[in-house]
Parts: sequence; structure tokens; C-alpha cells
Amino acid sequence: MSARGFKSVFMVGAIAGTALSCYLVSLRVASERAALESVENKIVLAQRDIRLLNTEIGTRGRLAQLERWNVKVIRLSAPSADQFVDSSFQLATLVKPEAKPAIEAPLVYAAAPAPARREPVLTNDDGSATAAPAARSAGEMMHVAGYVKPARPARMDPRVEAEPVAAAAKGPVKAAAKPAPIAAKPAAKPKTAPATKAVKSATADPLGPLPAAKGKAKGSGGASGARPTSTTKDSGSH
Amino acid sequence: MNAPTPALVARPERLRLVGQRRQILALMHQRLMIGMLIYGAVVGFIVLRLVYLAAFGDHAGRKGGALDLAPERGDVVDRDGNSLAVTIDAWTIGIQPAQVIGDKFALAQKLERLMPERDAATYFAMLRSKRKFYYLRRRAAPGLVDAINALGEPGMALSREPDRLYPQTALAAHVLGYTDVDGKGSAGIERAFEDRLSDPAQRGTPLKLSISSPIQQALEHELQAAVNQFSAVGAAGIIMNIHTGEILAMTSLPQLNPNAAGNGTAEARFNRATLGVYELGSTFKPFTVAMAMDAGVVKSMGQMYNCPEALHVAGRTINDTHPFGRACSVAEIMAESSNIGTAQIAMQLGSARQQAFLKKMGFLDKVQVELRERGRTLTPGKNWNLIETLTVGYGHGIAVTPLHLASGYAALFNGGIFRPATLLKVDAGHKAGPGHRVFSEDTSYKMRSLLRLVVTHGTGRKADAPGYRVGGKTGTAEKYHNRSLKVTSFAGVFPMEEPRFVIVAMLDEPKATAETFGFSTAGWNVAPLISRTVSRIAPMLGVRPDKKREPNMAEVLPHLHEKAE
Repeated sequence: MSARGFKSVFMVGAIAGTALSCYLVSLRVASERAALESVENKIVLAQRDIRLLNTEIGTRGRLAQLERWNVKVIRLSAPSADQFVDSSFQLATLVKPEAKPAIEAPLVYAAAPAPARREPVLTNDDGSATAAPAARSAGEMMHVAGYVKPARPARMDPRVEAEPVAAAAKGPVKAAAKPAPIAAKPAAKPKTAPATKAVKSATADPLGPLPAAKGKAKGSGGASGARPTSTTKDSGSH
Repeated sequence: MNAPTPALVARPERLRLVGQRRQILALMHQRLMIGMLIYGAVVGFIVLRLVYLAAFGDHAGRKGGALDLAPERGDVVDRDGNSLAVTIDAWTIGIQPAQVIGDKFALAQKLERLMPERDAATYFAMLRSKRKFYYLRRRAAPGLVDAINALGEPGMALSREPDRLYPQTALAAHVLGYTDVDGKGSAGIERAFEDRLSDPAQRGTPLKLSISSPIQQALEHELQAAVNQFSAVGAAGIIMNIHTGEILAMTSLPQLNPNAAGNGTAEARFNRATLGVYELGSTFKPFTVAMAMDAGVVKSMGQMYNCPEALHVAGRTINDTHPFGRACSVAEIMAESSNIGTAQIAMQLGSARQQAFLKKMGFLDKVQVELRERGRTLTPGKNWNLIETLTVGYGHGIAVTPLHLASGYAALFNGGIFRPATLLKVDAGHKAGPGHRVFSEDTSYKMRSLLRLVVTHGTGRKADAPGYRVGGKTGTAEKYHNRSLKVTSFAGVFPMEEPRFVIVAMLDEPKATAETFGFSTAGWNVAPLISRTVSRIAPMLGVRPDKKREPNMAEVLPHLHEKAE
């Protein structure tokens, strides 16, 4: 009973609610539409402004004005036919490359005598032992580069074997690292180390003058044990 | 009342009464009902209307009208889209004497101070007159508008009116033309395309011309420099694409500012390029030679003619500036611009064929272009006899516009096909005009080396722009009324081995100067102008300078027998 009695009330409520929501929707749509229109309006006004400003810029920067400035101040003139280049190659011929030595380091020939110039290069590394390392390095480089030497090793074979091969082949740094411990001992004893022999065969012939090397090594007492050994090989070449 | 006696029958008057009351009641009900229905209908209508408005109606704050961007009159732009003519809203200052409430005399004095072009008395007379409205100034500056507004006088009318503005001022002024006070085109493109520009359906899209602003500016500048240097009274210049007939630049000097066209002189408003007709002299000679080659009269560039010091024909004497005094070849006739030689070629060609060719090139009619300012050519007409044939052969006795000449050269060098000139950009929307053949392709090809020869070895040496292979012909004609006054012209084509553009320049009454050693012929004044202009515009037109390229000169060089001094 009660439900049936309120039925009409519910109906009215539902209809009112529906109508209200429909109205809200349409209201929303109308307001969106209005917002859209105002945006469109703004766009049109902005375009009108752009047009006006473009016209102003065009008028102020008109070609006759630019021409006047050019004649009075800038004085640019039409390029002549010679100022056009046909290709990138032709353009490249117009550019003179900067004078620059191709190789930074001085080139040392195999046959060249060890120059005194070597010294300063090495002194940079070790301030104290300038003279000795300079002599070493120069000799070393000559050996590595030279093809003349192989004749000697044949004679010198026995001595060569005594020395660590790897060190001679790869330069002073390696010589310092590897052969040092090994060489330190053999240096004291003239006998050759058995292990080194097999490796040696190919390189480091110049070692011939061993005694001289020793003298030098002793002279450079400040240097570590490794260095004297390496010096012995290098100086030996001389 | 009486004792209650059962009244079996109601008294008749009472009965009548009851009947009456009922009737009245019914009537009242009826009226009430009608009234209520009307009321309800009105309320219902209002409610329905409200609902409808709520659902479908417009927003209260809606602003209409501003959405229309199309200008009052269509814009005119150049081929790259740069504005040449635009319509903008400009301030207009007016006065409504009837609505002035303040002291009129004081107002008149203030107006004189702000706008000094009239005096206070005039303003006062305006303020006291019975007229409803006076225009005080059109296209007023914003500062002035602010000052007028600050007067606080309701009688002052400030309004915005569409106004035609030419941002590039004098650039291409004679092409664009100008509008009158009411915004109607009264010259140039504005007049020729009045309907198109004011048509509401089409004015939204700008009218695209074939003019190129930078090229137009270059031509105008160089031409103006030449006018100043040689004290010429005027000049005209045209640059045209020979394949499409598009006019890339067209100018007439003295300059005109279309923003204030009324301030220019009649001389400045005159378009010399399309309206003025001139005897263009020797620039006609290539046509005569080409006609003769096409007709089979001239078979090779080496064909010899007898070139005496002076030629006596039909009681007239034809002279040369550099007489040969010997036999000369066609190549030499052209290189040295010999009237005597060309006259003999024209004589062989004959009047009928000459007229037929000129007709096909449009030289006997008004020039074909969109503008309305087109001059009527002056020709011998019915008196086209032998002597006229000879003089027309070297460009005298016939007066055409410079645009005629440009169109003719275009036809001569584009392979022999005449096309009407156009001021509208040729693209998908606007096709090039219909062409018809005038010269054979072979003739067109052979003429290249002949005109190049004029520039490399002949009278037009100063026209050479190194690397751009300019070919062309100088022309110097004397004015009819005073033979010391000259019209010098040059018609050139470049690049000559594959012609693409024609350039025509004309100076009206140039004077000799110290630099030209007292000469005032075309080789001395127009030719250097051509050289400067071409070296300036050719890179813009995509012509690559190359000093190693030349047209095939083997046809003409062997026939240059002796260098005439």
C-alpha cells in the first residue's frame, strides 16, 4: 500500500531528476560551445593582429628601404661570376691548409748516430738521472728500427741469449717492469739465466759491449735495480 | 418566508430565476475556463520557450561578427607570397557639427593645433555649418586619434574604415595601380581585377602576381640610377620569362607612390611600359633578320650585302652611324647595327611578309596583357610602301610599347612561339596563355649566336655581364619632334645558349655625360645598366654564371670579316 501510495511521488521525482539532468547536460554543452566560440574569436583577433603586424614589418622593412641602407651603409654588390664555385673540390682549392707538421715526434733514422737531443726528452720523466736514460733510449730506438743489425746477432749469439729478449723488443718501459727482477740477479753474476735463453733468439744483439753498460749502471746509483739492467743492454749497443 | 407548504409546483417566476442563474453560472464557468486556458497557454508558451532556449538557445555572452577574416578587398601578393597591396582598418577622423556641445571656437583652435592642414577659421566655419558630416582626415596616425579622443568632444567622429595600403610603396607601382577614395581600383591590377578583388567569394584568397619583388626592386634601382646619371625624363624596364610569358618585373619611371597616387604628377602615373609607344629603333633588326631567315631570304649568316656609305631608296637616304663602305655579311650588319644592310634585307623580305610577321607577333595591335593601360601602336597603316618597309625593318616608322618588344623577343628566342604576356603567376590555377608559332625553331636557334655576337663583338659590348651569356641588341631612335632627343633601348636575352629570360630597358631622352664621351646612344647608357641588372638578378633567377659556356658561335664568327671601328 505504502509503496503504491508513493509511486506517483517517485514518478514525479524521477521525471524531475531526469529533466534536471538533461537540462544540466544542455547547459554544459552550451557553455562549452560558448567557450569554443570565444577561443575562435581570439584566434581570429590574433590573426588580424598578425596581419597588421606583418604589414607593419613589411612596410618598415620594404625593399626600397633595405636598398637605401645598402647603398648608404652596407654597400653590398652583386657577386661576380668568379665568386661562384662549381664543386666542393674547387672550393677546397681556394682554402690553403694550415701549415702543420704531420708528425709531432722527430723522426729518427736507423742509421743516424745517437744525438745529444735525446737527453731532454727523457729528463722530463726522471729529473735526476738525465744523462744515463738518454743514452739508453736512443740506442734502443735505433735497434728496434734498424734492419742493419741482424748481421751482428749471428756473431754475438752467446751474449744475446744471456739477456731478456722481451724487454729489448718492446722498449724501456717493459724492460723496467719484467726483466728487472730477473736481471737484477744475473747482473751480479755473469752467468745467463736458463729461462731467458729460449725467448731471446731474435732480438737485442746490440748488447755486445757489456762492461761499458755496467759502468754506466753503477754511475746511476740512484736508479732502481731494474734500470741498471736495462741500461746495460742499451748502452751495450754502442 | 411562508409556512412550509409542500410546493408541488414551483412558481413560474422562481423557476425562471433558477434557470437564469444556471445559465449565468454556466456562462461564468465558460468564461473562467477560457481565461484560464489562455493564461495557461501563455504560461505554457513561455515555459516551452524557456526550455527551448535552455536546450538549444545561444549563450548569453556570445559575440558574433568577428569571425569574418576576409578583407574588404582582396590582397595582392607577389609570386613568393609577399604582400604588395593589403587592406587594413585605418582610423578616420570626421566631425558632426550638430553634435558638438562645447565651445565651438575653442574646439576650432584645438583642431588647428592638432591638424594644421586647415586653419582655425575653416574649422570654425565647418562647425557652424548645417552639414551633417565632414571628413577631416583619412588614414590618421594613432597618436593623432588619441589626441582627438582626449578632447572629449562627442561631435568628433572617430571610426575605422578599410583602407588600401601598399607596403612596398613605390615597388611595382605601375603594375599594381591604385584605388580611389572609395576603394575602387582606378589603375593597374587594381583596375583590371576590380571584380575579382571585390568579389566576396574570392577576396579571401590573395591575387598572386607573376612579379618577383627582389627582381622588381633590382630593376627599379638600376633603372633609377641610370635615369639620375643620364638625366633622362623617364624610363621603362621589363623582365620576362620567355617560356611562360610571365612578367617578373615591370617598371616605369618616374616613380609613383600608390599610397598617395593623387600627389604624383600625371607623368609619374603614366605607365611607359605598356601605355607609352616609342620608336624603338635598332632593337627591331633581329626581327627583320629572323623574318628573312624564316622566309628563306637570308640563308646563312655569311650572306653578303652591298653596304655603301649611304643608301638612296625612293627619294630617301638611309645612313649608318658606322658605315661599312664595302660588302658586309649578315653577322656584320647585326654586330654593327647597320641600317643600310637591314634595309636591304627588309626590301628582299617585302612589305606583305613583314606585315604578316608583325601581325603574328601582335605588334600591330594593342599589347596583350591583363592591364587596361595599353597603348595603341603606331604603324604606317595603309601607307605601308617600300620606304616604310625599309624603315620598319630597322625600327623606325613604327611605334610600339616596350612590352611589345619584350613579348616579341620572347617569341623569337623561346623556339619561335608567341605567347601573350601575363601578370599572374603561371601555375596550376592559371595556365600560360595559348601560343602560336611565329618563327621556326631553327631560326630561333640561329638567332642566339647572332645576338650574342652583338654583345661580344658589336655595339652592345657594355651590356655583357661576365659569365651570364647576355645576348641582345641596342636601339637608339630619335624623337620625331626633336632629332637631338633620343629614346635608347636594349632588348636582351640570357643565358644565351639556353635562353630563359628577356630583359628590356628603355631610357627616355638620356643626355650625354663626360663618362660616355659625349655619346648618348644605347651602347653607352642602357647597355651598362643591363650588365649591372643582369649580374644582380641572374643568381636570383637560378642562372649560374659560367665563363666557359657560350652559345654555338661557329655560325657567325667566321663571317666577321673586318673589325669596323
